[in-house]
Amino acid sequence: MSETLKYSVRPGTIRTLSILCAIGGGLTILGLFLAPSSVWPNILIAAQLVIELGLGGIVFVAIMYVSNAGWSVVFRRVPESMSSILPIAGIVMVLMVFGIHTLYEWSHASAVAKDALLQLKSSYLNVPFFIARLVAYFIIWIAFARIIRRNSERQDEHNSIALTAKNVRWSAAFLVIAAITIWLASTDWVMSLEPHWFSTIFGMYHMAGVLLSGVAGVSLLTIVLHRRNAFDAPVREEHFHDLGKLLFAFSVFWMYIWFSQYLLIWYANIPEETGYFIRRENSGWLTFTVLNVLFNWLLPFIALLSAAAKRREGMLLKVSIIVLIGRWIDYYWMIAPPFNPDAPALGIWELAPVLALVAAFFLVTLKSFSKRNPVPINDPYLVESLNYHT
Amino acid sequence: MRMFDAFRRKSATRSIGMKSSRRNGSHPRAQDGAQRYFIAEYDDPDALSAAVRAAKKGGYTIADVQTPFPIHGIEKVIGLRPTRLPLVCLLFAISGALAKLWFQIWTSASSWPVNVGGKPLTSVPAFIPVTFEITVLFAGLGTVAALLFRSRLFPGRQTSILDERATDDRFVVALLEDSAAFDLREAKKLFASHGALVMEERVREASQ
Repeated sequence: MSETLKYSVRPGTIRTLSILCAIGGGLTILGLFLAPSSVWPNILIAAQLVIELGLGGIVFVAIMYVSNAGWSVVFRRVPESMSSILPIAGIVMVLMVFGIHTLYEWSHASAVAKDALLQLKSSYLNVPFFIARLVAYFIIWIAFARIIRRNSERQDEHNSIALTAKNVRWSAAFLVIAAITIWLASTDWVMSLEPHWFSTIFGMYHMAGVLLSGVAGVSLLTIVLHRRNAFDAPVREEHFHDLGKLLFAFSVFWMYIWFSQYLLIWYANIPEETGYFIRRENSGWLTFTVLNVLFNWLLPFIALLSAAAKRREGMLLKVSIIVLIGRWIDYYWMIAPPFNPDAPALGIWELAPVLALVAAFFLVTLKSFSKRNPVPINDPYLVESLNYHT
Repeated sequence: MRMFDAFRRKSATRSIGMKSSRRNGSHPRAQDGAQRYFIAEYDDPDALSAAVRAAKKGGYTIADVQTPFPIHGIEKVIGLRPTRLPLVCLLFAISGALAKLWFQIWTSASSWPVNVGGKPLTSVPAFIPVTFEITVLFAGLGTVAALLFRSRLFPGRQTSILDERATDDRFVVALLEDSAAFDLREAKKLFASHGALVMEERVREASQ
């Protein structure tokens, strides 16, 4: 058997997503002329969201390979497909270079000249090196994602266990490299928005975000595709139970890292560091800080606490959506305050880029999913996954 | 699987073709108040599962199943209630959190107030890490203790197993002969049809 029934995305779905993407994209381009200072940060937020989903997908696959996990094989094509947004996200991030002076204080030579700290940091925070790193991250991520996906696809035709062994090795290397690149990328793109502030746990915080986003995206898409009978094979509550466990665990992990960052800064009480949280406790921003904790941790924690809830497909779907909204809140909370110090601004320029890229993410992921066998039919762990029982 | 109280082997008849049943059904209990059980052994988990399913369908009461390793899904087949341990775990966790939070507030703000870096005496963020650890500790130890207590697992406890080979390579099921309609011959036929290697009856004294 080398071919199963491929899933065809409903034309209506493609049309709706394309229209949403076009509206969002059009408004974003319009905004670049009308209100560039509001739109650039939100393009960054939108790009971060889909990068997190794409990376989360391929990191999920890599973790499953490295841990010799059998249970997830039946829906592995979902996280594999999620990584196909990375090239588009890469293009958006490269185009971000045009907005670099709007976004990053350290990119202005005049600002650096006046500032002793920025001068000290300028050997790392300078425009050419920034662009070189940006391109390097995406080349690395896309290359690993393609290699791991290609080996998985080739296994559909060549029934060879050697491809699984190969992917285990590639995945192990990727996980190490992903940890380093996510840490550096989060420093470059998000932490350097406030270049006088620093936090050594910031990279870990983003890794928690990637894992949380990845599992939420996988759960959401798997449930949606399962409801449309996209898989030839049964995806059952046993699989949802484990996805629910992971979503619960990474939600708690995210909160753990968030609080670790907060606690040390609060405890040490050094002005250089506390400014970051003081800016986010101001009148308008306090609501967002509370919402951030609520959507990324408290609601998922309460909703998924019992084993029965984790097994309920409808509950898992709702929690995944809550977490994905929480991811946007988290990025808005991290990126927007330097640009709107008094209160969060929410309007068309904030929503348009997010709408465009999130619609593009679903469009690209579904298209990529429909191009290949919905289930890795020759994976040695497929039988285990089909008969899985927690 | 569930712990099962001590069995005493009534007779040494241990063969599939055993013909000598002392009775032909129809009396649920022996005169001395002892409870009768019917034991069947298999050498394959799937055969056991199939037999247990068939027995359940046939209306037999399954007293216990003993296997060398957990058979996924068998707990549903034999109708075990879902465990309430998670609830115990939650209650221990909440009590741990409250106890530790109260203790820290009491020690640092009430019993012996200490000014740390000019922060308020009741600085909740500083109490969170220890509260978290104690929550996990209470939940973990409490759950294990509750499990041991509820399963009556204490040092030196005499475990009773239906057949020692159930810890090695045999899969054993015990039926409770609890109704007048229990027909030994029918039961034997049913279990033999799924490939039982050993079938026998045992009696447990009422006093045990």
